[in-house]
Amino acid sequence: MIKAGQIEKGTALLIKGQPFVVVEREFVNPGKGSAFVRVKLKSPATGQVLQETMKTQDNVEDITVADRDCQYLYNDGEHFHLMLTDTFEQLEVPMSSFPEYELLMQDGEVYRCTFWEAELLDIIIPAKVVYLVAEAEEAVKGDTVQGATKYVTTETGLSVRVPIFIKQGEKIRVNTETREYLERVND
Amino acid sequence: MQEAALFRSRTYHAIRSFFHERDYLEVDTPILSPTIIPESTIENFATRFRNPFLPSRDLYLLPSPEIYMKQLLAMGFGSIYQISHCFRNSEQLGRIHNIEFSMLEYYSVGFDEEDSILLTEELFRTLEVPKRLQPPFRRMSVAEATKRYAGFDLEKTQRRSLLKEEALRLGLSVPDEPESWEETFNRIFLTFVEPNLPQEKPLVLYDYPRQIECLAQVNGAYRRRWELYGMGMELANCYYEEADEQKIEAYYRDEYARLIQIREIGGGVIADVDPTLAKTFAGIGKVSGVALGLDRLLMGMMGRSSLEGVILFPLSAILSAGNRNLYHDEEYI
Repeated sequence: MIKAGQIEKGTALLIKGQPFVVVEREFVNPGKGSAFVRVKLKSPATGQVLQETMKTQDNVEDITVADRDCQYLYNDGEHFHLMLTDTFEQLEVPMSSFPEYELLMQDGEVYRCTFWEAELLDIIIPAKVVYLVAEAEEAVKGDTVQGATKYVTTETGLSVRVPIFIKQGEKIRVNTETREYLERVND
Repeated sequence: MQEAALFRSRTYHAIRSFFHERDYLEVDTPILSPTIIPESTIENFATRFRNPFLPSRDLYLLPSPEIYMKQLLAMGFGSIYQISHCFRNSEQLGRIHNIEFSMLEYYSVGFDEEDSILLTEELFRTLEVPKRLQPPFRRMSVAEATKRYAGFDLEKTQRRSLLKEEALRLGLSVPDEPESWEETFNRIFLTFVEPNLPQEKPLVLYDYPRQIECLAQVNGAYRRRWELYGMGMELANCYYEEADEQKIEAYYRDEYARLIQIREIGGGVIADVDPTLAKTFAGIGKVSGVALGLDRLLMGMMGRSSLEGVILFPLSAILSAGNRNLYHDEEYI
């Protein structure tokens, strides 16, 4: 048990017997009222999103989670197929639990994953990731105004706004949270 | 940083001209005080006055200048205002919270809370506020907002058990241990009502449930107070001030008891309280007071999304400024 005031983003809680991961947390002090914490939780198993407001003194049931490495194998349009690198055990996760992760995860790559017993709760995507540019429109000739940008598509299908000098086949570093271009990467 | 300082200076100048033109006296009252007005939901900062020749005693940093401003009102000072620093302990530092903040507090003699809305609208008209903060303010009662966003009737849920039923119907987890009506109400309000309040115009949310104890006058099931929401933030709080000695005394007694109860569970300072002030506060006459958070107002005026960049040295930034080689010696503290 922990106090609701101790909840942080990423804390795993058991709510009505189901594991949820906190995706947003905000402290609120209403004009004349005790301190509350407003949280948004997600069930990794079903993708269900819950909105809860708790008093910071409320008891909540936290669950012990452990991080393990998983290799991302592929997705079949409905499930991500992953393999635990220590036991080679394979697992399927509904893609709907991690919306748009297929645009961020790269086949064959190893990710830190958070587990509660055998249940996968979270896949941790590093904050900055290098992607191969699969498609890039040609920059319009003569368009050299500083700051001019265009869109490219990465190998994973992610659309990123980049400076016009980025070409197909090059690698770029991307902030996975904002999905913004950071820099060109030279091998 | 300089831009923020200039902006604040210009705004303070405009605020002072506004009140000066209306014959409000600017006052300067202590922010370090041996007693506070009890507010169980606000935690205080305490420090110790080491009197070299007499016993030492605790002093508290005030969460609002109200306790002294009301004494001035009772002395017949007329309408007064103050810009001061206020302190609230145990609040999360963040986007719209700093434990030390700037407050504009103004008390208008002869006004009720309705007159204070008009005055505040006038004030906003003279400031360089963006469109989303421009008057006229939209008005909505708490009952109306609850009906609209949480789908039930406050008048019919005055009993604790009925309100809890509504909370459960809305899918909230309510702990089994009994809690006050106000706490359950706040769970509902903060989850379903507040996040959905319209943000395109300033909104005066008025007639708060009487169960939320404070020094605003009661009218039926409600209290004559309002909160101004602007750009999704609580910007100001207004009361038609209670001036009945028995009621103020009862508030002091009950709120202090609640404060002790809450601190015993959650820890924190139990500040001293002077109940004889009830008699003084009963002498203020017909007055409405408004407390307006200046840092948040400036944040909205400057188009910033956080208090960083508005407050010159927000505590969160000072604390996270990296490893400094502090001279830090436990023995000296």
